[in-house]
Amino acid sequence: MFRPLLISSNNVMKQGALRYLRRLHENAIPNSKRKENDGEFQDLNEMYSDMFTPNQGTQHQNDGPSVKSEIDELNAELSSMNNFNFEKLSCEKLQQITLKDGKFILRSLSINPYYNLALEDYIFRNTPIDIKDEEKFQSQRLLFYINDKCAVIGKNQTIWKELYLGNLIKKGFEVLRRLSGGGAVVHDLGNVNYSFLTSRDKFKTSFFNELLVKSMSQIDRCSSVTLNKRGDITYMGKKCSGSAFKIARGKAYHHGTMLVSANLSSFHGLLKPDHVNGIEWKCNSVDSVRSEITNIPLSSPQEFIDLCIEGFQREFSSEDQEEIPIYYCDEESATNSQIKETMKTLEDDHWKYFSGPKFTLTLESNQHYVSVEKGLVVQSNNPLLIGKSFKEVAETEPFKTKL
Amino acid sequence: MIPMFANLNVLRTAIRCPQTFSMIRLISTNSLTKGQLPFSYSLNGPKFVKYTRDHEWIAAHEDGVAFIGITKYASDSLGDATYIELPEPNSEIEKGESMGSVESVKSASEIYQPVNGEILEVNTALENKPQLINEDPLGLGWIAKMRVADLKDIEQGEDLLSLEQYEESLKHDDEE
Repeated sequence: MFRPLLISSNNVMKQGALRYLRRLHENAIPNSKRKENDGEFQDLNEMYSDMFTPNQGTQHQNDGPSVKSEIDELNAELSSMNNFNFEKLSCEKLQQITLKDGKFILRSLSINPYYNLALEDYIFRNTPIDIKDEEKFQSQRLLFYINDKCAVIGKNQTIWKELYLGNLIKKGFEVLRRLSGGGAVVHDLGNVNYSFLTSRDKFKTSFFNELLVKSMSQIDRCSSVTLNKRGDITYMGKKCSGSAFKIARGKAYHHGTMLVSANLSSFHGLLKPDHVNGIEWKCNSVDSVRSEITNIPLSSPQEFIDLCIEGFQREFSSEDQEEIPIYYCDEESATNSQIKETMKTLEDDHWKYFSGPKFTLTLESNQHYVSVEKGLVVQSNNPLLIGKSFKEVAETEPFKTKL
Repeated sequence: MIPMFANLNVLRTAIRCPQTFSMIRLISTNSLTKGQLPFSYSLNGPKFVKYTRDHEWIAAHEDGVAFIGITKYASDSLGDATYIELPEPNSEIEKGESMGSVESVKSASEIYQPVNGEILEVNTALENKPQLINEDPLGLGWIAKMRVADLKDIEQGEDLLSLEQYEESLKHDDEE
């Protein structure tokens, strides 16, 4: 099953536009490999695959001719075409579809993790619900976004305990604290984030991953994709997807990562193991469950997205109803004031380093310790540290080498 | 009809997954735990106990001090709590603002302030024992102690439910 997204979502695509896209594809990605033609939409499929697939081999050695600029280029050209229905939402349209009852699918074409998380939060907050009559809720929504290189921790985690911040910065990874629970994950352009929104009432943590596994099981390569005890999707016993949930105001979302063509070897040394020698943590923050990871055997992030969309459509569109609409947006086309504000919050050190659980950190058999609350040192054997921000303290010895 | 539970494990499953055992209402309780602080703070117990549709409870005493927590229904449906994010003492929180969250198996569930008021104290026992939220959400697992701006907000608050109304709304949820 490898249907192009655009064709499946609406049938108004003109042959002329298709030819144009083919030419565009040939010009934009001259070295892209050609598979044997198995249908007239093959080229289009490949273009979308290539758009969101890191160029294995060159991408991670250096930041050279980056996939990002190719995407930008393609997006710019795509958005200049008016003769077929691939329109990016404006702020007004985004607001309109969000506030109106009804299901939709939204694909963010931005790879800025702050924008994508803020967009998700905007839709989550503003999706209408009658809290007195939650059963009536029919506005399930499904979002997709792909983030540029980043590490993301759960809302109730301690950033220094989970991440090797120095390595992340050196390797060009952004560091974020998200708004939902759960553990730490690493993303790159070969990872797809999906986000399923429903009412609190109808929400079940296992529901969406079950639907995904069912959708993927139609593909032979994915026959050994299963759910583990924690509800995570695994392939050959290794985890290829991580989930987190958020519940608020009668609504809930399940968002998850799906590793498709991620550069897994570049993820080494970014997430900390349970225990690091010489350091003792005393805290009650949420622990990450360390797992071996693998990519799911799909050919591209786009193939995964298409499978998800099919599963979602099958589950939620009724016979007499029109197909659930699919929209696109990006940071440039659809950043409203609420999204901007959330982005600011997420980017701010206050949220990343001065929020979250309190902890006590002891180095090398009690020689040095600090107790930290809201990012500030409140107790230490070194009185000079008291009152300082732990973010600064962590940059100085003896903490620096240990963290 | 009273359901029969073959053993404790079935009962436990039933309590944790109320949607699969709709009869569970008969044995679950969303009323305040009598022996614990939210109730025993004043001699005769709280003047008002109200519930929100977001599954918080608030128990307000004569002197304007109130305790806030989440209901049994909420804690059962969330599963084992792993972390409770508590509000800042001395902070003034408006009605409807988020005052904290409960994290359980990867879910962060927001808790909202049911009425205007100031947080006086938080239940620090939850820092080391978040599971109190599961064991006794309407007693030992209280989240915050606050001074309400006006007791009338609780007595007359339109979106605050009595225990009966709250239980009724849950039944409604289950019918689907």
